[in-house]
Amino acid sequence: MVFFVSELANYEKNVNRAIHKYNAYRKAASVIAKYPQKIKSGTEAKKLDGVGAKIAEKIDEFLATGKLRKLEKIRNDDTSSSINFLTRVTGIGPAAARKFYEEGVRNLEDLKKIEHKLNHHQQIGLKYFEEFEKRIPRAEMQKMEALILKELDLVDPEYIGTICGSYRRGAESSGDIDILLTHPDFTSQSEKQPKLLHAVVDHLESIGFITDTLSKGDTKFMGVCQLQTEEEDEEEYLHRRIDIRLIPKDQYFCGVLYFTGSDIFNKNMRTHALEKGFTLNEYTIRPLGVTGMAGEPLLVDSEKDVFDYIQWKYREPKERSE
Amino acid sequence: MPEIKLKHIVSCSSEDNTHKADNLLSSDTYRKWKAARPGEKQVSVILQLEKEEQIHSIDIGNEGSAFIEVLVGHSTSVKDQDFEVLLVTSSFMSPTESRNGTNTNRVRFFGPSQLVKATAQEKWDRVKIVCSQPYSKSIAYGITFIKLHSPPDDNDAPITTPPKLTKLGQFRVKDESPSSGSNIQPGSLFFSRESTAKSSTGLKVSPQNDRLSYATAALKSDGSSTHSSPSSTSTQQAPVKRKFEFSKERLEVTGPPPKKPSSSASAESNSATSKSKAKTSATASPISTASPGQKTSDKRESPKSKPEPKPKPKPKPKSAEPVAFNRIMEGVVFVLSGFQNPFRAELRDKALAMGARYRPDWTPDSTHLICAFANTPKYSQVKAAGGMIVRKDWVMDCHKTKQKISFKRYLMDGSESSSESEAEQDESEEETQKTKTPEKRHVTPKKQPIKEEEEDYGGSTDAEGAEDDASGMDTEDELNRVEMESRRKKTVKESAGVVKDEDPYGGSTDENTDAEEEEDKPIPELPDFLKGKRFYLYGKFPDNQKRQLQRYIIAFNGAIEDYMSEKVQFVITSEGWDESFEDALMENGSLSFVKPSWIFAINDRQKMLPYQPYTVVP
Repeated sequence: MVFFVSELANYEKNVNRAIHKYNAYRKAASVIAKYPQKIKSGTEAKKLDGVGAKIAEKIDEFLATGKLRKLEKIRNDDTSSSINFLTRVTGIGPAAARKFYEEGVRNLEDLKKIEHKLNHHQQIGLKYFEEFEKRIPRAEMQKMEALILKELDLVDPEYIGTICGSYRRGAESSGDIDILLTHPDFTSQSEKQPKLLHAVVDHLESIGFITDTLSKGDTKFMGVCQLQTEEEDEEEYLHRRIDIRLIPKDQYFCGVLYFTGSDIFNKNMRTHALEKGFTLNEYTIRPLGVTGMAGEPLLVDSEKDVFDYIQWKYREPKERSE
Repeated sequence: MPEIKLKHIVSCSSEDNTHKADNLLSSDTYRKWKAARPGEKQVSVILQLEKEEQIHSIDIGNEGSAFIEVLVGHSTSVKDQDFEVLLVTSSFMSPTESRNGTNTNRVRFFGPSQLVKATAQEKWDRVKIVCSQPYSKSIAYGITFIKLHSPPDDNDAPITTPPKLTKLGQFRVKDESPSSGSNIQPGSLFFSRESTAKSSTGLKVSPQNDRLSYATAALKSDGSSTHSSPSSTSTQQAPVKRKFEFSKERLEVTGPPPKKPSSSASAESNSATSKSKAKTSATASPISTASPGQKTSDKRESPKSKPEPKPKPKPKPKSAEPVAFNRIMEGVVFVLSGFQNPFRAELRDKALAMGARYRPDWTPDSTHLICAFANTPKYSQVKAAGGMIVRKDWVMDCHKTKQKISFKRYLMDGSESSSESEAEQDESEEETQKTKTPEKRHVTPKKQPIKEEEEDYGGSTDAEGAEDDASGMDTEDELNRVEMESRRKKTVKESAGVVKDEDPYGGSTDENTDAEEEEDKPIPELPDFLKGKRFYLYGKFPDNQKRQLQRYIIAFNGAIEDYMSEKVQFVITSEGWDESFEDALMENGSLSFVKPSWIFAINDRQKMLPYQPYTVVP
């Protein structure tokens, strides 16, 4: 049941680019997943926060018939399935996917034929398409984490790095690796310090961990990495998507909180923050004034501080998978 | 940056019976506005400004609020919603601090860069302050003060701003013991600024004159600051002249060298609080440059990263007995000497909270004198009367440990070790001394006392709760002071008597309250070594010495003659023998010619000395 709602969600995001519909489905999927019993009727589901009349209707249809007409239609619809497929290539979003679709591109082979039309990012995405599709086992994530933290320390022991994403929430496997990086020299008041990021990237490149670059800005690096094969390893490690973000020290923990997710958890947390009179984003938490104007960024020295401000009990990362 | 005058309180969401919103209009920074009940979600107050003005910067002293926002509006507007944000909601206490009730009195300065630009560029005549404290249901919160400043005038700026900057610059970030947290004594720095403002602008009669003068009065009786600057200036004149010089003197005060008001005034409180103040804005120049975020972090980080600055003043008392908190000091009737507000109030509140009773003056039923240092007049008085004289640490430690500790270990017998001198302390002490006019070195000759005083501020604010209990007392004191003040004013005309009381105290930054409160006594507890002796100061004296001499002579109950007459018994000169002395001797055979060092020696030894060793001979 969760799957069909999630599938609807993806459809809305990729094909219709209706991000709010997507979010509505995501929320419903999340709340249904958390529901302890098996849902027996749409009415029952409707009681859940996030499930409205429309979704309840679909649940009823699904329970009654075992399928959903809308979903069948989407699945059979060449447009949506192709577009959905194309967006699986990193660097191709819904917009680009639709454009390529309109140019007649339907599958991987078609994409390879128009490789010259792809930008660098998309070419890499194409090159490693199969590998990027594979999940990263937790064990490998741990290995990469250890390596990255060790290398960070070599570059400058003052770096602080956190592997965020589902890995931090304790997921058994991850889609990519997302590192947040900060350095005491870099705050929102100081100049941008691209060197801090580039020094790390260059170093990881020099040891052969980072193999490709998708994009490299002052504060964000997107690329491809691969663990070196060691003797005991039976087969070569796959290429993995890696993002490294350099974040000002004072915004680091809001960033860690945000990039640890889950996104649904983040939304809930923001909602709660608003109820308590705060606005929370990936950079800062600020109190709201009587007119609704956001106040000065509050001092945050840990994720706990953010919870503390909005008077929420602290939740460990692994408790944040909603 | 002229301070914008507040006219009245338009409204407030709630106010404590004692800590009324009206308190914000007064210049007494220790008088605060608090909500009526603890745990209110949000409290606000609307102030009416005297006239429409542009607001350039804001200083706020917190009283338990977690967040404070400042909005501005027009009195003409109909709806309450018409307020616009001038200072966005700013953090004054973290959740943890709120729950623990620590660092409740942070002071923050908001310069032009931290105010909402569009709003700051317009003129407004109403200010709304919104405080909230979502983290503690047990604190009745509010603010201790708010000061608004209009944009600097071209002529004004160089005069008023530099002293403050230098002032802050001179003081280094000083560590405090963790127990005290970063308690920024609300507004103590502003006493100095206050006095500047008062003396420079305050005297240009303002429409709220009566209030102002009351404020000044209260300030004088309490905050030593304003008091000391006028009187220290005034003593330069010979006392006889004083009567008619008085108004002139006050004018003179208006244009002292820029440094003076802030320095000579509350040097003590400055040095004490500017540690914390410096912390507040440690990295940047105090007002403008630091951005909000940075500032907050400076502030917050400093208390955390604070190591124990010095060996604990006392070993932890072990002979403590468990007693109910409000009965710890039961039976104690105490008198304070040598403490400045706001610490004075804090100390008193703490003692009151523990069940002690307070007397402004030493009375037969008084039991303890809590003394900042050993040479205060009350010290001598109480010593003579056989009372117990203890250091303030007694109260602080009892309060901190919530235990009854014997006062005996805190007895003030002058035998404290001076080993605590740290480089920092010495420095700030130098600061203190430098800023005082030279003769004050003699008034406070010992290093010890000053150090003590500084520690006072260091080891202070643990609990604010006590203030509630003491509030009743506050009001009474207030009344007393006002009364005293008005009495004092009346007696100004018969200045001779008053001068005697006032002068000796004038220079010493610590003693005003006492001076005020005790003036109805026939003889102050000053020693009258020189009673009945008449002096004439002859010739020139180096370095302000003349003024010092005048002060000491008057302090010791001697009289100074304006010109040579047959009443004169002692001629004091620093220029050696003069031809004219022979002529004078012809007229008056009993004349003695003495060196100034005689008077100084009397002061140093605090007893009458024979003048013979100091005579000037041909």
